[in-house]
Amino acid sequence: MTGPVLEVKDLRTRLAGQWLHEGVDFSLGRGEVVALIGGSGTGKTVLLRECIGLLRPTAGQVRLLGEDLWQLSGARMNRLRRRFGVLFQEGALFSSLTVAQNVAAPLMEHVRLPRALRDEVVRLRIRLAGLPLDAADKRPAELSGGMKKRAALARALALEPELLFLDEPTSGLDPISAREFDHLLRTLCDSLGLTALLTTHDLDTLWGLVDRVIVLHGGRVIADGPVAEVARVEHEWIRSYFSSRAEEWR
Amino acid sequence: MNDAPRLDAQDTGAGWMLRLRGDWRLPQLSHARAAMATLPALDGGSLSDLRLDGSGLEGLDSAGALVLIHGLQAQGVAWARVATAGFDPRRQALLDLVAERMTSVSAATSSRPGWLARLGEVSVSVLRGGRNLLAFIGHVGQALGEVLIRPSRLRPRELFTQLEVVGLEALAIVGLMTFLVGLVFAHLLAIQIEKYGANIFIVDGVALALARELAPLLTAILVAGRSGAAFTAQIGAMKVTEEVDAITTLGLSPFQVLVLPRLLAIVIAMPLLTFFADLLGLLGAAVVAARQLDITFYTFVSRLKEVLPLDYVLYGLYKAPVFAAAIALIACRNGFAVSRDARSVGERTTTTVVQSLVAVILINAAFALASPEYRG
Repeated sequence: MTGPVLEVKDLRTRLAGQWLHEGVDFSLGRGEVVALIGGSGTGKTVLLRECIGLLRPTAGQVRLLGEDLWQLSGARMNRLRRRFGVLFQEGALFSSLTVAQNVAAPLMEHVRLPRALRDEVVRLRIRLAGLPLDAADKRPAELSGGMKKRAALARALALEPELLFLDEPTSGLDPISAREFDHLLRTLCDSLGLTALLTTHDLDTLWGLVDRVIVLHGGRVIADGPVAEVARVEHEWIRSYFSSRAEEWR
Repeated sequence: MNDAPRLDAQDTGAGWMLRLRGDWRLPQLSHARAAMATLPALDGGSLSDLRLDGSGLEGLDSAGALVLIHGLQAQGVAWARVATAGFDPRRQALLDLVAERMTSVSAATSSRPGWLARLGEVSVSVLRGGRNLLAFIGHVGQALGEVLIRPSRLRPRELFTQLEVVGLEALAIVGLMTFLVGLVFAHLLAIQIEKYGANIFIVDGVALALARELAPLLTAILVAGRSGAAFTAQIGAMKVTEEVDAITTLGLSPFQVLVLPRLLAIVIAMPLLTFFADLLGLLGAAVVAARQLDITFYTFVSRLKEVLPLDYVLYGLYKAPVFAAAIALIACRNGFAVSRDARSVGERTTTTVVQSLVAVILINAAFALASPEYRG
């Protein structure tokens, strides 16, 4: 399939009597890893929720894998949902299931597989997400923050998605784990052919991981391009965003 | 467009040539596994020259790669010795990643413990539960002692809030329930009593049953289901969101802040509710007596004065705080026993209701055995 994997056109959102998005446009090509940045309260997470079919935008269009997401019937939207994975900010693992059961859950719902084969696929997902196999029988409450994110990633990968949405994948992780997670994500995207859209506050993720950065400010996209280009854009917010860290380094 | 996955094997003389065809992806995984099973035995010295051709592939994902690599391994072919050709770079990268990560993926994990081990686990957990209960009662006793020494430690606002929720808001349902039970009980009794013409004895029977057993027991059952379940769910939810830990780190005792107000509120409210239940139950009986047996309200009350000694009413009211304390302790303990997952809150709330009902019935039986009439 050619054409963009995700295309957002003139998207507007009105929440609690205020316009949050006033015409957002961007698109994602196959295999791209793109970061969505913006200050707190600019509606990054809301935008992400609109792209994955959890929140209906007030106006505008979201074309996901070639289909107009918000024009789909419930059944067709559910079929589309199998083709992308989502990593929620806090992982959103089912707390009463073990890691292996969490990863197996989407497989049990959507694919008919003999039990032994399914267990093999589950273990592969856990290993792909960089978790040791003995984590499989643990419950989410017994995992550290970084392991929770990895377990949630394993679940998001369960159905071989073409597209991955990640909400703040490295928040709450120490810098070392965060870089490891970035590296893991890059490896997976490159070898599984994944397209990824992530929201982040982490400058190191921007410089180290992503192909492109989209800056959301004042309800619109004010910059869209490779990190090095976006960092040079003359805009007050962008300048203070990128310099906030550069000054500390010197 | 999606052909079933196939694997054609050909012995070229200079080693095996395997050609992958079709769609090696998750929806077709069972067929892929079947295709691997139809592979002829790749034995002999030609194993070192195994070639794998991917030019006929329509699709490949990590699950398909897993089945392929596992299948070859089951034949004794290590992935490192397979020469691949005709894969596009992305599929080649995928195969390499899966081969790298999948070591020990097929190894069987946990084995089930034997019955003796499980019996041991259950025994230990029962004993540990008993010890935790004792520790919990000790903590609550300690908190109660501190309040007795320094009454300023008591949290009046929380206590009054709980009193309102446990006592005041339960009035309507307690009243309605005992009124109806009084009504039905009196009606059934009246049918029998009429046959003997002993109409006035309905007062004796109803008053005794209500004051001594029905009102205290029904109120306790209602409060156990209503407030006991609420206590567990509240404390449990606070446990899940780490609010209980926050209370501890603020230098406060969770027993002081959470358990004591609830315990005191329920112990104060239960006798009051029970007395209210007595009144409404008798009212229900009086309605039946008037309509079915022609006993006027005035006659009912004057007969009540003669046949219902204060001791019987007090006996019922004495039981109430004991029921209340048992319910509060069980409910709060189960609330603190909630672990950090969503299902646990529901499980513990169920446990609270079951345990407190059993406790109420047992305590009631103990009271009946210990009563003066029983000893003669």
